[in-house]
Amino acid sequence: MNYLLSIFIDFFANFGIPKEVVYIIFPIIPFCIVAAALILVVLVLVLVERKILALFTQRKGPNRVGFCGILQTVADAVKLLCKENIEPNVTDRILFSLAPIIAFVPVMVCWGIIPFSSEFDFISISVSSLLFAVIAVIPVIGVILAGYSSNNKYSLIGSVRSAVQVISYELPIMFVILSVSILASSLNIKDIILSQTSMYQVCGWYIFPCFLGFVILFVSSLAELNRCPFDLPEAESELVAGYNTEYSGMRFALFFLGEYAMLFVSSAFITALFFGGFLSPFGFYISEKIFNNNVLAQIGIYFEQAFWFFIKSFLIVFLIMWVRAVLPRLKSSDLLKFSWRILLPLSILNFIYICLFKYIVMIGGLK
Amino acid sequence: MTNLFKTMEINVGPQHPSTHGVLRLILELDGEIIKSCKPVVGYLHRGIEKMAENRSYLQYLPIVDRIDYLGGFFNSYAYCDCIEHLAEIDVPDKAKYIRVLCMELNRIASHLLWLGTFMLDLGASSPLFYCFRDRERILHIFEALTGQRMMYNYFTFGGVRFDIPSDIIDKISVFIEDMPECINDYENIITDNPIFVSRCKSKGILTKKNALQYSITGPNLRASGVNLDFRKSNPYLVYDRLNFDVSSDISGDAFSRYKVRIFELHSSLKIVEQCISFIKNSSDEFLNKSVKPVMLNIDNAEYTSSVESPRGLMSCTVMAGGKNPYRVKWRTGSYYAVQVLPELLINAELADLMAIFGSLDVILPEVDK
Amino acid sequence: MINTDLLKEYFPDVLVYDYYIFVEKNIVDVISFLKTKNYVDFDVLSQIIAADCTDFVQLTYRLYSTENNEFLNVVTKVKDEAASVTHLYKSAHFDECEIHDLFGINFVGNEKLERLYMPEDWDGHPLLKSYDQTDERLEWNNDQSL
Repeated sequence: MNYLLSIFIDFFANFGIPKEVVYIIFPIIPFCIVAAALILVVLVLVLVERKILALFTQRKGPNRVGFCGILQTVADAVKLLCKENIEPNVTDRILFSLAPIIAFVPVMVCWGIIPFSSEFDFISISVSSLLFAVIAVIPVIGVILAGYSSNNKYSLIGSVRSAVQVISYELPIMFVILSVSILASSLNIKDIILSQTSMYQVCGWYIFPCFLGFVILFVSSLAELNRCPFDLPEAESELVAGYNTEYSGMRFALFFLGEYAMLFVSSAFITALFFGGFLSPFGFYISEKIFNNNVLAQIGIYFEQAFWFFIKSFLIVFLIMWVRAVLPRLKSSDLLKFSWRILLPLSILNFIYICLFKYIVMIGGLK
Repeated sequence: MTNLFKTMEINVGPQHPSTHGVLRLILELDGEIIKSCKPVVGYLHRGIEKMAENRSYLQYLPIVDRIDYLGGFFNSYAYCDCIEHLAEIDVPDKAKYIRVLCMELNRIASHLLWLGTFMLDLGASSPLFYCFRDRERILHIFEALTGQRMMYNYFTFGGVRFDIPSDIIDKISVFIEDMPECINDYENIITDNPIFVSRCKSKGILTKKNALQYSITGPNLRASGVNLDFRKSNPYLVYDRLNFDVSSDISGDAFSRYKVRIFELHSSLKIVEQCISFIKNSSDEFLNKSVKPVMLNIDNAEYTSSVESPRGLMSCTVMAGGKNPYRVKWRTGSYYAVQVLPELLINAELADLMAIFGSLDVILPEVDK
Repeated sequence: MINTDLLKEYFPDVLVYDYYIFVEKNIVDVISFLKTKNYVDFDVLSQIIAADCTDFVQLTYRLYSTENNEFLNVVTKVKDEAASVTHLYKSAHFDECEIHDLFGINFVGNEKLERLYMPEDWDGHPLLKSYDQTDERLEWNNDQSL
């Protein structure tokens, strides 16, 4: 980041703009990049999801707008933005408009925490993994507010379900994050990724010592994301559309955007913790070989790291969509039982096991 | 303090994604627990019984397909059977077999649609598409045979409208060859799924006593331990000449209703196979040419037919009154299945509503008539 | 087939003809007798068929026995008021509501009796022969100005 910042300062110094101003405006530029990338990713993601579901159900999926339907989500987005913003009379006006924003903004922040390459993390603090876990829960407040303020019984039930779900699945997530950070001896996501570097290529990834942790985090993420089979808050067959029943147009689009963005961000987080994040699976970078270690190689590596990160994250996303194509929905009481009776004990066991593992590795000096 | 223990009244339907039409359920919820339920029907009332009184017997025939639009053949057979009894019209054997063939294929189509929407209610979206894919093949066969996908108007007094062409017979043979494998696929994706089992096992238990009290018939009754199938107990058409099994289960929960229906898919395929082999070998004149249905004039008489439709006993009562029916009364399976719903839903969770209601296979046009 | 003699013993003025039993009064007693005390238990009330015979309404209770697989029709005539059989067969509730709705028969003993299909404030009972079919509410509204 400092590297980028120095380039940035130099660039503006050419125009006679003082350093202090550059320090202030510097975060705006990456934010715009992040926002644009996020929306782009969501557009792709929605299309990918529809195509994958179509694949699983032997259909074609969207195939009219653009080549093979690649512009379908763009058309959908334009439609959503042009739609009338219907607001029922009896809503709590302020909360009703605030809820989609609260549900969406934290996702952007989470997105900023994820380091997409070794130099490209915007919010780099020492406890970034904990920060991620904390901020990732905030959208639920938006969901609860949405359910409460729409003055609709279906929305209310949906939002209460969502709250219950997040509370019960937050604990296993925390335990998994802690066990991974014990393995990496750090709470910073970038450090966690870098500590997965190993001379045996992929063998350094934490999926191998901590497979159970991966499963727990994957399942809990499904619950946090309200994805099938934990999509109770918006179970369309029970609650019409759950917490966003009364929303339309732009506000609905924000919920929708937030949900899909969070889907990708969570996958990225899982990738960072267990699949070596931006590390190449071959143990070396291809651009390193191509450009023979000149200046281009350094930039090439950044892009390649981002490429690996996206590829791995999309594989996780594919896994999540696969689950959606196959499984029916859980019941809310089963969901709670599953969390408190199975996932939480398992995650504690996993934590203890990881502690012992780390201790033995340290004593043996294996790493 | 009193507010804390207040229950919430929630209106499910009439425009709700999973009420299969326009049923309205007034639920009283305590948290997620259903404390009481009141079904309100009548949003799709088209006055089908009143329509009969202003029409001749033949004019009424196309209308009856609309009663249960997923099982059009059953409706028209129930009505034709009445008129044939009242006017003493004989039906040739081949026409009987064609009728059975159509009805059993229709039963498969109806059960497939039920399976798909049931799984959709439970949150699994893929089975719906698989089921619709196979149902589409049946509808294509029906379209080639009758010209219509759902409102067939194919049966007529004294037989069927036209003979079944041999290429359609071939299509059906191919279909029934492929189908068992598809059903096994569904079972693989559904029956062994722990989430599905946990949502359906011991949910919405309909006891034998209650089932009889509420006059439940068809697969729902058989799942409750009463082995009553009107194809076996009061055989009509050629069912007494056909070899097929009827499945029943004792537990009476949503899962056993599912299992009974899956079994019915297999037994219907078996019946279709036997019908095809008969139709291929027969050279009968298929329709009694002497019948002129337009001229029908029946003196005061009454007859009630009983047909085992996909959703239970379907009877049509025709009280003849000269040139047009004096009164026609329909009895349909879903009508009584809706009535038993409050009994099954008490103290169930809101999420169970879909498993229980879906497993009863209720079709609303059949209830409202 | 039912035991006609036993039935005659209890209810002398009952007419039995094939699968039809014609009852003038005490219909609930007859049905309750058929349900429990006969050779054959008629454990299912398949349906109640009502027909408007201009000066009275004919009710046919269609019973079914799951043991012997046979139907039995119990026919009675009513005017405006009939006794409810919901305490014998719970399935009768919808049937009675329907007949109440479409024929205007009041079933005494059914506390939850209400209109099933038609709106609460609907005038008249559609399946009666005397029902006015020129009611403007029945006509499709072609008024384009709406």
